[in-house]
Order: sequence, then structure tokens, then C-alpha cells
Amino acid sequence: MNKAQVSLRKKDILGLETMSVGEMELVLDTAKEMKNIIDRDIKKAPTLRGKSIINLFFENSTRTRTSFELAGKYLGADVVNISVSSSSVAKGESLRDTLLTVEAMGVDIIVMRHEAEGSAQFAANVVKPVVINAGDGAHEHPTQGLLDMFTIKQYKGKIAGLKVAIIGDILHSRVARSNIWGLLKMGAEVHIAGPQTLLPYGIDKAGVKVHNRIEEALDQADVVNVLRIQRERQQKGLFPSAREYARIFGVNAKRLALAKQDALLMHPGPMNRGLEIAPDIAYGDQSAIQEQVKNGLAVRMALLFLVLMGGTHIETAN
Amino acid sequence: MKLLIKGGRIINPAENMDMLGDILIENGRITAVGQNLAVQGAEVYDAAGLVVAPGLIDMHVHLREPGLEAKEDVASGTRAAAAGGFTTVACMPNTKPVVDNSILVSGLIQRGQTEGVVNLKVIGALSKGLEAKELAEIGDMIQAGAVAISDDGGYLDNTRLLRTGLEYTSMFGRPVITHSEDEGLAGEGFMHEGAVSAMLGMKGRPAVAEDIAVARDIMLAEYTGASVHIAHVSSKGAVEIIRQAKRRGVKVTAEVTPHHLTLTDDELKSFNTAFKVNPPLRSADHVEALIAGLKDGTIDAIATDHAPHAFEEKDVEFRYAPSGFAGLETALGVVLTGLYHTGKFTLSEIIDKMSYAPAKILGLESGVLKAGAPADITIIDPEYEWTVNCINFYTRGKHSPFESRNLKGKALITIVNGSIIMQNGEVLK
Repeated sequence: MNKAQVSLRKKDILGLETMSVGEMELVLDTAKEMKNIIDRDIKKAPTLRGKSIINLFFENSTRTRTSFELAGKYLGADVVNISVSSSSVAKGESLRDTLLTVEAMGVDIIVMRHEAEGSAQFAANVVKPVVINAGDGAHEHPTQGLLDMFTIKQYKGKIAGLKVAIIGDILHSRVARSNIWGLLKMGAEVHIAGPQTLLPYGIDKAGVKVHNRIEEALDQADVVNVLRIQRERQQKGLFPSAREYARIFGVNAKRLALAKQDALLMHPGPMNRGLEIAPDIAYGDQSAIQEQVKNGLAVRMALLFLVLMGGTHIETAN
Repeated sequence: MKLLIKGGRIINPAENMDMLGDILIENGRITAVGQNLAVQGAEVYDAAGLVVAPGLIDMHVHLREPGLEAKEDVASGTRAAAAGGFTTVACMPNTKPVVDNSILVSGLIQRGQTEGVVNLKVIGALSKGLEAKELAEIGDMIQAGAVAISDDGGYLDNTRLLRTGLEYTSMFGRPVITHSEDEGLAGEGFMHEGAVSAMLGMKGRPAVAEDIAVARDIMLAEYTGASVHIAHVSSKGAVEIIRQAKRRGVKVTAEVTPHHLTLTDDELKSFNTAFKVNPPLRSADHVEALIAGLKDGTIDAIATDHAPHAFEEKDVEFRYAPSGFAGLETALGVVLTGLYHTGKFTLSEIIDKMSYAPAKILGLESGVLKAGAPADITIIDPEYEWTVNCINFYTRGKHSPFESRNLKGKALITIVNGSIIMQNGEVLK
């Protein structure tokens, strides 16, 4: 065994595929402390005073963008939001030019959401400021993955050895991919389930267990993470109707009962209540959905702090 | 003017020849192949330690002229060909305007003679404007010099029109080259559909889309008795379908690219647009099947599918980048590194696939080293080690998946119609 110091200072956060267990643990440990700030009366900490963050969002988002905005502001940074309604290509300006323009304004962090997979990697190749991926197409959403792990740890005390079921539209879900990378690295057993048309071809090679019957995935699960169904998927013919989806693949009280009695119910939001998740369980005793939102803020505060200011953690590796 | 190439290892797959010897060139033609040739007044090139091969032929390039000269034109594209050791290239008709009539065929042939530095062969479109609605004037184009007919660049989804095109083209003794990939099935994808696309979240182009299209094209060739050439085969299913068809005697030939033979979809994890190509780079099992198919003769030829794009077009998010990249200047090095130096293929087999086989498919008299043949010759140093640097390419397309890779093997001399037009990487015209 040797011990190495882990730090995220000046590192781009592009996905959990490329993050080590030590780096993820550092974020989760730091987030625990950051969560205390959210509960304070006066939330402003001067930690990032004089630092600037740009939220560059090429896709609509309320939850993630607000979470990043408040995370920066609670730590005293100057935060600017730029929402670009259409893709840079459609606008006629290349993504490279947009990024270089933002860089020229002296920002320290670019938080970017974009509809194209790999766009965060592209940004990191182009500019010097730290790039944090706030979702790139169906590829990754690393801060969601981290906040989900934080939530699981909060309730279960650990991740290793847990059975986590991810239910729904895996095909189009960046949340699912970040969850899969993160949870597998942390030692969880990951089961995915949904209609075959919403499971990516080849996903069985990723180290997850794949089911078409959600009952199999739910059976004795410690954590149930339900994904949002986007209604345009139905228009594309990937499943016949919302009614049929809810009936066969929707998570309700009866199905949730297949999981362990103390199973944790999660959803990245926003929810289609009555479609992928029944309203009564969404706000029931097992639900951690509201807590996930709060934890998201804490995790993002931790990340902003760590990539700008440093902070280290001893990683133990073989 | 006489040129004597002395003491090289002459590899001429057409005649199963692999010997040390000399080649004499006079007035653009080979006049003698033998040993200890002594000729008065000839310029002598000492090829000791080098391989003397029939000039390489790339039967699948995109020179982008007319209309898309920002990406490439005849002058830049044929210089790239010369730099890569090619003495003949055949260009696809998916230009703007589309090369779908004899005027444009003649015009391009003429451009080849005035602007080009290697032999330029022209492939005419099968359908007018590549619109898959009505036949282009195929006979007229072939009489003007077109060597094959193709709607390459996309899938010809009008099966009835393809049948007619095959039947009509066969009257003139020329092949139809098909881009076989069912676009309805693959169209939304950006890369090979498999384990890598699943975790990158990128929409995939399933290999079965290629299998289905190849099966259709072969069934039509079998039904009509026409010749079909399958471009850029990339799936193991397609290899097997072609293998079975050849056993049945169907007039089918096929080509594979250097990149499909040597790269897998693992490269896409970098999101580097230089790896975006259509059909896409596939997984290792497909690559193995392609190599096996090339080895056993199921796949006849190696072609580059040289598809240059302007720098800024590729300098975007992966999904918005156009497919394709420059291939002419790396092809020989990639093939020698990946297939020869790994012991999978002999030099003779590689030269066959890159010269004699494409010449046969296109009905050219080159691709051979014998008295009377055109003096199109490539002199190769199979041991030459070099590093790919796109900035130094002659092509305008400065993207290559092989950028910064170390390759072993390179063309040192390109001789077209008896004249040395490239020496040690420098195009002389």
C-alpha cells in the first residue's frame, strides 16, 4: 500500500469515468462540511471572494444552473449565467469562439452544459480556466453522480456492497452513466432496468446487470434511482404510450416494496409524477428526492472550492 | 528520356514476381524488367535496399472539385496522392455540382491533365444530382472516360433505381460502387453502436445497418448479373456476406480502408473529431474480421476513402463535425505498420491490394511491372520510420486519426508516366 495526496486543484471535472475513488471521496467529505453552510442563517462564506464563475448553458436548466449559481455565491464568488438557447453552430459562432470569448474575460471556472456528448472535453482542450461539466448530451453529469453518491452515503453510511437499481430511460440519461461509473468504482452492485428500447446496445459490457423487468432490478435493492422519461421519446416511437410505460415500468408502492424495507428512493428530477414514479412514494418516507437537491448544492460548493482553492485528501492505493 | 531503376527488390503481384533486379523506362512506358540491365544514356536511380512496386492505386478518393475547393482540389489532392506513393487515384462524384454528366467527367479528366500530378480517374454518379430519383447519363459518362459509377457519399435507398443502375452500367463493362449502409437504421448515429457508444452516450450506427445494405446490393448484383463493388467494408457481417457471395460466383468485389483495418471505436473516448468517419470505426472483433477477409481474398483492395475537410469544419463538437479525414499521405505507412510489420501480410500481398487489385476492378492497364505497361512505379522503404504531422500534408484536409503516430514504411519515390514526381516526401511539380 502506498499513500498519495489527492487534490482537485485546477482539474477539469469532465466525468466520473476519469475521476479516481480518492478524488470522489475528497468531494464527498468536503461536501459534508459545505452542507453546514447551507443551513446557516448567513450563508455567505468569503472562501472564493475575488473568483469568477460563468455558467455557460446551451440547454435549458433550472435546477442545475441555480444550484451552481448559489454554490458559487454562497462561497463569495462572482457568478454570471449565460444561457444560449440554440447551439453555437446554429448561431453561426463556433463553440471554440464562444469559449475563447468567455476566457478572455478572465473567468476562473466555466460550468458548461451542452447537448453534444464530449463538449466539456472539447472545452477543456480549448481554454485554460477549469471546466466543470454540468451535463454533455447523454454522456455524463458528474455533479449529479456525486450528489447521488453523497445522498446514498448519508442514508446508508456506505456505498460498497449496496444493490443500486437504476430504472428508466438509460439510453438518453447522462445521470445514469455518471451513476454507473461512480457507483461501480465505489463498489456498489448496479442493476439497470427499463424497456429494451431505452437501454443502450452494448451496456451489458459496462459491468452492470441488465434487466427488462424492473421487478428483477428492484428485488432486495438498497437504493432505487428512478430516471425521468422524456415524453419526446414516446413520439420517437421508443415506447408505445405513457400509459403503458407507467403500467409496466413505473415505480409505485407495490413495486418499491420488492426492494429492501429501508430502501432509499431517489430521482434526479424534474419528475413526471404518475409516469415513471407514483406521486405517493415520490414524497413518501423512503424518498430522498428533496434531500438530493440540497446535497447537490453542497457537492457543487465542494467542487468549486476544491478546484479553485485546493484541499487535499490522502488516497490509499495498492 | 530513359530512366533505369537499378538493384531494387521488384515486387509485381500480377506475375507473382519478387526478385532483385532492374527496370528500364523509356518515353513513359516500362520497356524492360530484368537483371543487370545496362543502358547507355539512361538516368540511373539506385534502388538498392528498396522495394520497387507498381504504382499504388487508390480507387476511392474525394478530391472535392468542382465546388468544394476549400476542402481540396485536383492540384492539392493529386499532390497528396503523389506524396503518399499513389500514381493513380479515382475520385468520387459527390461534389457540387455532382459529377453526373459527361461534360463534368471530361472537365475533371482535363483538370487532371493540367493541374494534377498523378493519373486522375473519374467515377460518375449513378443518379442525377445523387438524388436517387433517375439515372444519370451513365453511358455518356463512361464513353467520356468514367471508370466506374457510384452514388458514394451516401446510401442509395431507392432499390429499384439501384437495380436499373446495375443493369444499365453492366452493358458498358463497368462496376457500380456502392456505399452500403442502411441510412434509415444508422442515420442518427455518430459512431459504431456497441459497448463504447453505450457508455459515451453517443448514438450509434449499428453494424447490422451495413450488413443489411451489403446483402441487398449483392442480391441485386446476383439477380441482374451485374458487377458491384462494395466500398469501405467495415463490419464482420458484411465480410461474411461477401465471402459467401463470392463462393456462389456473384460478381462482387470489395475494398477496406487503412483506418478500418487498424483502429477501433475505443479511440472515440477522446471525442477527437479526427476519428469521426462513415462507416464508423468499429470494435476489435470487426477489425479482426476485416483483416481475415482481406487475407483470404474476400476483400480485394485497400482504398483510403480520402475525405478531406476544412480545418474549421472539424474543429467543433463531435456530433457536428463532418465525417471523414485525409488518408492519402498516411495509407501506405499505416498499412505497412499495421499489417506488414505485424507479420500478418507479405509485401506482395499489400502491393496487390493497393495496386494490382484496384487496377483490375477499374479496368486499368497499370498496376503491373512489365514491358509495355505504363511507367507508374512506387519505390518504397518498408523500414523507414516517421511520425505523422498533418500540418505538413499536401492535402488541404489537415485532420488525420494517425496524427503524431509513429509509422514504419513510406514511399520514397513516385514515378508517373516515367517521370519522378515525388522524391523523399517532396512533390516535385
